[in-house]
Amino acid sequence: MIASIPQSRAFPRTYLAYVTVFFVFLMAPLLVVAVFSLNDSLFPSLPWQGFTLDWFLADTPERTGLFHDKRIMASIGVSLIVASCVAVLSVLLAISNAFLFERQSFRGKSLLYSLMLVPLVIPGVILGISVLAFGSNVANGLEDNYGIDLEFLRPGLTMVILGQFSFISTICTLVISARLRKFDIQLEEAALNLGASRFDVFRTITLPWLRPAIIGSVIVAFLMSFENFNTTLVLVGSDAPLTITMFDRMREGSTPVLNAVSLLLMVASGGLALLSIFVQRKQPGRG
Amino acid sequence: MSLTERWLSGKRVALFLLLMPLLLYLFFLILLPHLEILNISLRERVSYGVYEFSLGNYQAFFTEPLYWRTFLRTAVMSVLTTAITLVVAFPIAWYIAKVAQGKSRSVLFLACLIPFWVSELVRTYGWMILLRETGVISSLLQTLGLVDGPVEMLYNDVTVMVGLVYTSMLFMVVPLVSTLDGLDDSLVEAAYDLGGNGWHALKEVVIPYAMPGIVSGCIVVFMLTLGNYLTPTLLGGKDSLWFTEQIFTQFITRFNWEQGSAFGILLLVLSSLMVWLGLKLSRQSFTEAMGR
Amino acid sequence: MTSAIDLSCLSLHKSFRDFQAVQNVSFEIPRGSFFSILGPSGCGKTTLLRMLAGFLEPSSGEMKIKGRSMLGIPPNKRPVNMVFQHLALFPMMSVAENIAYGLKRRREKPDFIKRKVEDALERVGLPGIGDRDVSQLSGGQKQRIAIARCLVLEPDVLLLDEPLGALDLKLREHMKVELKKLQQAFGTTFIYITHDQSEAMVMSDQVAVMNKGRFEQVGSPQELYYHPKTPFVAGFVGENNRFSGKVSNVSVHIVQVKTDCGQTLYAQQREEQPLAEGMDVELFVRPEMIHLSRERVFADENDMTGRVENVLFDGGNSRLLVRVDGTGSEIQVVHPQTSEFTNIHAGDQLHLSWKAEQSHVFASNRKEATV
Repeated sequence: MIASIPQSRAFPRTYLAYVTVFFVFLMAPLLVVAVFSLNDSLFPSLPWQGFTLDWFLADTPERTGLFHDKRIMASIGVSLIVASCVAVLSVLLAISNAFLFERQSFRGKSLLYSLMLVPLVIPGVILGISVLAFGSNVANGLEDNYGIDLEFLRPGLTMVILGQFSFISTICTLVISARLRKFDIQLEEAALNLGASRFDVFRTITLPWLRPAIIGSVIVAFLMSFENFNTTLVLVGSDAPLTITMFDRMREGSTPVLNAVSLLLMVASGGLALLSIFVQRKQPGRG
Repeated sequence: MSLTERWLSGKRVALFLLLMPLLLYLFFLILLPHLEILNISLRERVSYGVYEFSLGNYQAFFTEPLYWRTFLRTAVMSVLTTAITLVVAFPIAWYIAKVAQGKSRSVLFLACLIPFWVSELVRTYGWMILLRETGVISSLLQTLGLVDGPVEMLYNDVTVMVGLVYTSMLFMVVPLVSTLDGLDDSLVEAAYDLGGNGWHALKEVVIPYAMPGIVSGCIVVFMLTLGNYLTPTLLGGKDSLWFTEQIFTQFITRFNWEQGSAFGILLLVLSSLMVWLGLKLSRQSFTEAMGR
Repeated sequence: MTSAIDLSCLSLHKSFRDFQAVQNVSFEIPRGSFFSILGPSGCGKTTLLRMLAGFLEPSSGEMKIKGRSMLGIPPNKRPVNMVFQHLALFPMMSVAENIAYGLKRRREKPDFIKRKVEDALERVGLPGIGDRDVSQLSGGQKQRIAIARCLVLEPDVLLLDEPLGALDLKLREHMKVELKKLQQAFGTTFIYITHDQSEAMVMSDQVAVMNKGRFEQVGSPQELYYHPKTPFVAGFVGENNRFSGKVSNVSVHIVQVKTDCGQTLYAQQREEQPLAEGMDVELFVRPEMIHLSRERVFADENDMTGRVENVLFDGGNSRLLVRVDGTGSEIQVVHPQTSEFTNIHAGDQLHLSWKAEQSHVFASNRKEATV
């Protein structure tokens, strides 16, 4: 409770213990994953056999380290491509949406705003199957009637990108709109008053103001795409992104290579997340 | 053209240009695809490439106990997960928003966020390493002499629940912290001052105040749990009986898109219903609850 | 001489749907003067300023800057700059970048810009702070940077939209003087809008008092103070005691007024629109124009005795509330802090007097005459 409220002496200790247990609960799974990627053993389990980097670097018949595992490295590449495309598309749509909802007034705006939010409450699986079904329908229709075969409408990377884009763009819209809402319109007027053209105003005033939010949502979109599973699983074709490859491996039985990938992911996404927090924190015009 | 007219027409062009991407997106990625699965769910394949209208797929759902039981089980467990997550997260959110000061406050908040920047797959994998027969906890218990042989802690409902709560935590903590942050300490003090006790202050002041955060947290957690696939499958094993699994099975393994679409529509109806119910009960609007 | 006029407006109108924000406003501002538009909030002064800046288009009327019509010219092409109410300094830029912003838009050479920026900082008394972040500046420094950012462009007219409103009292007093000095140093025409009469009076060469979309009176601060032309100006500029009544007698120069509470007061006849007997009028007299004495002096037309009801002590601005004997009306009088009056207490008897020309009388706006 608040410091100024009288309380029994046992209470703060119990409370602190609870919070501590909670954070142990939060960190434990990540910690074991990380630790066992460095264990000199064929299985990610106790006992501890000593420290090794084999699961990253080795290339021997019985041990293939992460960096020599062609399938995993290829799927990381696929994931990078997908995530970059999703991030760019989502942020572009999000910027347009932010200006639409924050700067324009038109009939049916609130209805449209609700519709824009709807993908947040649709389970990822359903987004996946609906995009899959629609894509196939269009592709079949075109093939049957016109003999045109649009390969990208069949399960594959394009569909994965579209499926992920369908909900990630909503989240980016929320982030960028929130920033644009805090923008003082007088700054644009001031720039116009100082002789800037409309385009100059956008380039030199509005865009720099949005920059932290844009960078932040690029990172968010990138990470969400990278770790997405549900939507991706239905839409995936022959090139599997990392999560799909890892899932398959996990079913085959775990090896410390999976721990190694996980550690790599943790370091990379942790770094990106910190970067996004840093960018948000440095944004000007707070308060 | 006068300046005003020119400006107005410029404004209209801008509106049109900004409206276009959103409309295209909503139409082709949200509206039509969902109509498509609705359409697919309402047909039956008669022969190759020939379909006719049918409610058979929905009939199958209600007549096959495996289907509707799985559906109910998923719904109940999702509600339960949401409730547990709320109860577990609330004290944590309160601690971060009101008890922790200065630096430790932002460190704790960050600590809450960090696990969720890592793929759900990795998190679930961590739980598997901890809980399985050859896992860390089992080994520790044996070393300590508390049990004689290996203990299998995977593949049961409690474990699935733990995994689901774990995965949902962030989505409850963040909205709670942000609403509790705005709660003026003096309101709580006033509640005490006016003769209330801790429970009263919580019930009469804190919870009503935090309601928007509670609602949006609950909606998101419920949605994510309902649509989850990895956690129930990996922690619950073959018999986890999660409804999303059924959808995937129909679509990927059995290639029965008609049945899969029907399941998808049913899941969508369920989730919309729960969201609507949550908003009604708490008198919140959809845009308020989601737009945070 | 038209060339000496920087800005002229001719019957400007602006209406939003059926609301008349600005009605029939005409004025001319000579080069290099400090012109204030004074009025309560909602009087249309901001609308007027935004029309001058080009953010709003007038519904009808003409405005010219240095003889050139501004109608249809977008804000970024006008030779006016504006200091915004909340200053609108660009938070993502340094101080120097803020000042350089307009020059960069003109595609001036970098070394020229650098020189101009340094010069501008020098002239507003803040040399060498160009590298600082805007957020590191104090309130007064921000003011000066906002002004420097405009003046570096050498505009024909500088518009200021209540820029002192956000400052605390002490700083505001200081900045008033500062602004006046800056204006004189740069010689630029300033148009300053405010609801604070003291800001307008201290700084301006000319003040326009605006009410309900119209200019009530344009004149020097002294004219507004000593010779208000409308009851609104009399009430808004400076402080005033106000009495409602009826004209009971008119001589050549003097109007006799019987107030609603039965007092007889005298004021100078108005030259334009002379008042006639029986008209409903309002009479104003400033607290600082009332002569106080312990003994009766019979020198002025207006003369009465009363009892001190309350001493409102505020240092040099102290006031006395005096209840006039017989009529029971209440008058506010400046409480001089001279030795004669420092020991005045509630209940003391005082004599009040003032000359007829020190009170102003106007035909009343009252719809129905009440006696």
